[in-house]
Amino acid sequence: MGAGPRFRTTAGRLAALGFADGARAERLLRGLGPEAADDLELLDDLATAADPDLALTSLSRLTDREPGISAALRADPGLRRRLLRVFGLSAALAEHVVRHPADVGRLGGPGSPGSPGSAGGAGGAGGAGGAGSTAPSYEELPRAVQAGHEHPLDVLRVAYRGRLLRLAARDVMGEASLIEVTAGLADLAAAALEAALAIARAETEDAGDVRLAVIGMGKCGARELNYISDVDVIFVAEPAEGVEETHALRVATRLAQAVMWACSASTAEGSLWEVDAGLRPEGKIGPLVRTLDSHLAYYRRWAKTWEFQALLKARPVAGDLELGHAYVAAVGELVWQASARDGFVEDVQAMRRRVEAHARTNARAGEADRQIKLGPGGLRDIEFAVQLLQLVHGRTDPRLRRRATLPALAALSEGGYVARDDAKALAEAYTFLRRVEHLLQLHRLRRTHVVPDDEADLRRLGRGLGMTADPAGEFTETWKRHARQARRLHEKLFYRPLLQAVARLPETQARLSPEAAAARLEALGYADPEGALRHIAALTGGVSRRAAIQRTLLPVMLGWFADAPDPDAGLLGFRQISDKLGSTPWYLRLLRDETAVAERLAHLLGTGRYVTGLLLHAPEAVAMLGSPAELAVRPAAALAAEAAAAVGRHGAHAESAVAAVRALRRRELLRTACADLSGLIDVEEVGRVLSSLADVTIQAALDAALNAVRDKMPGGADLPTRIAVIAMGRLGGMECSYGSDADVMFVHEPRPGASEREAAQAAHAVAEELRRLLALPAPDPPLHVDADLRPEGRQGPLVRTLASYRAYYSRWSSHWEAQALLRARFCAGDDVLGRDFVGLVDPLRFPVGGVSPEAVREIRKLKARMEAERLPRGADPALHTKLGRGGLADVEWTAQLIQLRHAAAVPELRTTRTLEALRAAVREGLLDPADEAELARAWRLASRIRDAIMLVRGRAGDGVPTLVKERTLVARALGYPPDGSEDFVDDYRRVTRRARAVVERVFYED
Amino acid sequence: MDRQQEFVLRTLEERDIRFIRLWFTDVLGFLKSVAIAPAELEGAFSEGIGFDGSAVEGFSRVYESDMLAKPDPSTFQILPWRSENPGAARMFCDILLPNGSPSHADPRWVLKRALAKAADMGFTFYTHPEIEFFLLRGRPEKGGLPEPIDDGGYFDHTPHSAGHDFRRQAIMMLESMGISVEYSHHEGAPGQQEIDLRYADALTTADNIMTFRLVMKEVALEQGIWASFMPKPFTRYPGSGMHTHMSLFEGDRNAFHEAGAAYQLSKTARSFIAGLLRHAAEITAVCNQWINSYKRLWGGAEAIAGAGGEAPSYICWGHNNRSALVRVPMYKPHKGASTRVEFRSLDSSCNPYLAFALILAAGLKGIEEGYEMPPEAEDDVWALTSRERRALGIQPLPQSLDEAISTMEHSEMVAETLGEHVFDYFLRNKRAEWREYRRRVTQFELDRYLPVL
Repeated sequence: MGAGPRFRTTAGRLAALGFADGARAERLLRGLGPEAADDLELLDDLATAADPDLALTSLSRLTDREPGISAALRADPGLRRRLLRVFGLSAALAEHVVRHPADVGRLGGPGSPGSPGSAGGAGGAGGAGGAGSTAPSYEELPRAVQAGHEHPLDVLRVAYRGRLLRLAARDVMGEASLIEVTAGLADLAAAALEAALAIARAETEDAGDVRLAVIGMGKCGARELNYISDVDVIFVAEPAEGVEETHALRVATRLAQAVMWACSASTAEGSLWEVDAGLRPEGKIGPLVRTLDSHLAYYRRWAKTWEFQALLKARPVAGDLELGHAYVAAVGELVWQASARDGFVEDVQAMRRRVEAHARTNARAGEADRQIKLGPGGLRDIEFAVQLLQLVHGRTDPRLRRRATLPALAALSEGGYVARDDAKALAEAYTFLRRVEHLLQLHRLRRTHVVPDDEADLRRLGRGLGMTADPAGEFTETWKRHARQARRLHEKLFYRPLLQAVARLPETQARLSPEAAAARLEALGYADPEGALRHIAALTGGVSRRAAIQRTLLPVMLGWFADAPDPDAGLLGFRQISDKLGSTPWYLRLLRDETAVAERLAHLLGTGRYVTGLLLHAPEAVAMLGSPAELAVRPAAALAAEAAAAVGRHGAHAESAVAAVRALRRRELLRTACADLSGLIDVEEVGRVLSSLADVTIQAALDAALNAVRDKMPGGADLPTRIAVIAMGRLGGMECSYGSDADVMFVHEPRPGASEREAAQAAHAVAEELRRLLALPAPDPPLHVDADLRPEGRQGPLVRTLASYRAYYSRWSSHWEAQALLRARFCAGDDVLGRDFVGLVDPLRFPVGGVSPEAVREIRKLKARMEAERLPRGADPALHTKLGRGGLADVEWTAQLIQLRHAAAVPELRTTRTLEALRAAVREGLLDPADEAELARAWRLASRIRDAIMLVRGRAGDGVPTLVKERTLVARALGYPPDGSEDFVDDYRRVTRRARAVVERVFYED
Repeated sequence: MDRQQEFVLRTLEERDIRFIRLWFTDVLGFLKSVAIAPAELEGAFSEGIGFDGSAVEGFSRVYESDMLAKPDPSTFQILPWRSENPGAARMFCDILLPNGSPSHADPRWVLKRALAKAADMGFTFYTHPEIEFFLLRGRPEKGGLPEPIDDGGYFDHTPHSAGHDFRRQAIMMLESMGISVEYSHHEGAPGQQEIDLRYADALTTADNIMTFRLVMKEVALEQGIWASFMPKPFTRYPGSGMHTHMSLFEGDRNAFHEAGAAYQLSKTARSFIAGLLRHAAEITAVCNQWINSYKRLWGGAEAIAGAGGEAPSYICWGHNNRSALVRVPMYKPHKGASTRVEFRSLDSSCNPYLAFALILAAGLKGIEEGYEMPPEAEDDVWALTSRERRALGIQPLPQSLDEAISTMEHSEMVAETLGEHVFDYFLRNKRAEWREYRRRVTQFELDRYLPVL
């Protein structure tokens, strides 16, 4: 410690040595006596302490209390150094030494004589076991307490802390490894429990009637305890011979309660720690003590997977060890069979999701990211993940049956279940975090896991870990590095070894066997593990750069696929797309560098075929997944401009012009599907977006068709007529689904002076060309233009003039046609003509005075007949989303009847959209709000199901799927959990049943 | 493989069991069985046994793929009757889909779901049924009239009577299947028997009722007679009901008991009863699911003047009032655990899973919403005029299956509890049954009209 001559004052010199407050340090040093100020060795010891001020303060208090100690310490510099190292880290242990100065002797280093054994005057039975590097034994602790003292609880506390002091000294001097320290702490806790039991027995009547064993659980059971935490236990009892069981259990319960109290009660000497028996069968509501048989009966019948996970750690620690060992042996068998139990796979998946979600949680504001135990990537995550793998593989591999985390991790690594480097890095992270935890807790012997953000505290931590140059900074740096490691642990532990299973590695290196890999994939939710392994092998095989990137990418992707509804499909789709794009430089780089893109891609590929199909034809669209902004709906005007530009660019080549527009449409379909599946837009918005996309596509195709027909006109003259496209049906209502056809009608108006016949010929040619262009075989999805709703249906002319429509409607129109016209909306072409058409049909669809009673009767009759006849043979009427009970048709006809009756008088009702009409009807008092809610709920759910069916299957469907697998996938796409398919159907039936009741009342007026 | 499954596999070996019958129940309450060989059982435990659901009432139409029957090892029992020798055993099953989701068509699951809801509220549901049925001579023949095996009456003990032998053997057989019998005696009508099962949680009781009905039929066949659970086989005698005592427990405390309260009924019990009464009409179609059930409910009172019918046709409650739908039995001092209510409209041919689920749901609804119990009916309700009953606010139960269906159709509570699938199927099936009945020309019409019209 170079305290150079540059400092003129002692205070300055002290500050340079590391004291925060030089002047105060100087004053305290002087208080230690004349020799102290010049004792360079003392100064050196103080300066090496983690917190020199804290060490000096405590030393000063000790000297005040026990003036003789100074000389004793000077005489034994080794002892003094140990004392000050402990003082520099722990105010609480210093407090203990001040109160019990005789315990200074317990600090004796290697080779020093045993302790004075003066703990609370407990009969000199002390002696902290052997000295030196052999681990101390604490068997004498119970004897030290047992001597019939008046305040046994005080004696217990003092004796415990004396031994803790000794252990802490070995820890801070670096004489014991982390494993030794944590084992020592567990043994000390066990000894304290034993002593507490002795105290309890002395106080409890009939204590001899029962054999009681205390089973250590958690960190105590695993012999990896920290300085202060709840000690988890389970109590097992058996009646002594000839004693009746009920009585014995009553005694045992009293004993157990007394043990817990003996440890946790606050006396003049404070308390030890809480004893937590909450891991017992039935938790806090179960009996505190059970017999061995009763435990086993519970575990066989009722226990959940997490309880077996907890039992991994069980170890007899106090009381009747014979009984304790019998318990552990019996329970051990059950633990390792847990993976064969019902529901194990589901439980493991749920537990895994918990770990991953937790570790993935981004640091939130506040404490969470300073939490070393429960924070993301904290101690709990590491322990949990290791235990999970032990449960999965420990059944077939007994080498993994280790209680403590570090040995278990080592065993997993040796067996090839975890990659060696990953295991090493994780072990380092774990060791670091545990040491930090110890330093935090030593300070005040408080149960804390939060890293303080105070500079002085960080400095103490850094120096406690041996960082001297910039302790606070270096500590923070190291901590962040380990946390980053740990946060990706699920990937390392669960998925990366799967790659090694299929990789060609040197035979000497241990790795996951194909069987173990298949078992793990299955536990992760892959239905076809062999197939999955083949894909993994194909993606990661070889020495190309591409394979190298895949090797880093795939472990993460495998986890995301596992979370998706159909992991196998996700992996397959990923392989197909990677095969197409693998050599494109940006593709893998994007996935590797942009985690969000890769995650979204995995989710989409594992959800359904529609997106996979679109991507396979144009994989470059993966780039779109980059950000929510990319997935935001494009304004219709921008798309229209883009489409018009494409048509303009291709000029006379109608087919290539429309091909470009259809590619645009495919891109937007993909964007919409992704936004839909990511929950960014709701079903009404999906309908609106898909419909205006159809509008844009039709307009562009119309433009291209006009160009094509015009080019064939003699002399390139203008067409002799104007044309407009009227949207009908779902397109008219802006309610398209992914697979909807475009229902339209064509209207034309000959230009002044043009021949009627030529005009009609040209209009027909344009309409036919438009339909042809949009249906041409191409990799992009076709848009089928359906004009069957026109007057006279397929028998009627494809295109009519405005006058012809007028004539037809005035002579022939039926109620049914008026109802269909409620959906009529100008969609493309000549907008003046379009508006004229709409003006023409308005009096039909909004009849003045409302539709006649006969017409209402006819409409109801037609609807009733459709219900009976239109359903496909064998379809379940309750599950048909379009024509079934409470389905789309029910809701739409109800809305339309209200419109036909009232829209002439109530302009708000003049809309082509179902939900809008219903809302308007509520505002105008024509429909009860509660009824509107039921109808809208059914309509939305039915529409969402139809969209989801298309997204999942890649083709449209009207019925809720009857095949279980498909039904499951559709339910998942709608946000239900993996086994929620029947709940989904139940919900659909309920919603539609209620809607149907409204339809019967409002539409049929039953 | 858990310990119970191991126990079953071991027992198969030790007792030389050659067949295992996997039992489940269709929506109407008929017992169904799939027989498998012991070698298939391990697979059945882990994955279930596939069967074609379309062959089972109420399971059909919805699923194209096979369903799975997954045995519940805690229900393992060796079948004691002679016709099953050599060794056969049975287990009740849960019905699953291949994706692990429970089938919503499985009545056992419907009850389990209702019980889970009760458990969420901290309750376990216990029931104790008193099952009545007739013993008849020979097998029923089309057009023939049923003939009771004896002329006995209530509690009669005729020497060497067939009924006596029957009960002794039947009870032995039940006990050998682990079903405890509380009580048994000759009921009021000739040939009519009553056997009371011991209190148990509702799922076990429902399983036991299914077993019970089969055991009675088996024992009767062995003795050359016929056991029938038809609600009302004789116009002149009372029908066969299944009065069911019930209580809710919170842990091991009877939640219906409150020392010092009127009839020792806690607030929970009073709200439960209020729920039962308010929803009684809605659940009648399930509690009394056959055309014939309504002959029991409505056939007694007028026919036997003075004696009154045994069946409770009016929605009210009373203390030791045998005419009330819900009866609060005499409280036995110092037996807090025995406080209970008795629901009396059920008949012995109901589907116990669905009926218990609805009764429980009605009661829980009362607790959730804090319904108030109406005043006690102190008079014999049958003796009142209909005007008097109306003045007291006492409503009748539905008078026919048709009326019961129409009432049930509008019940959210019933739809919610049965699940939409069972709700829908049940209504469709019962409407068809009613239509079938309505078109039938009955003996009554022929006797009455043919001579005079």
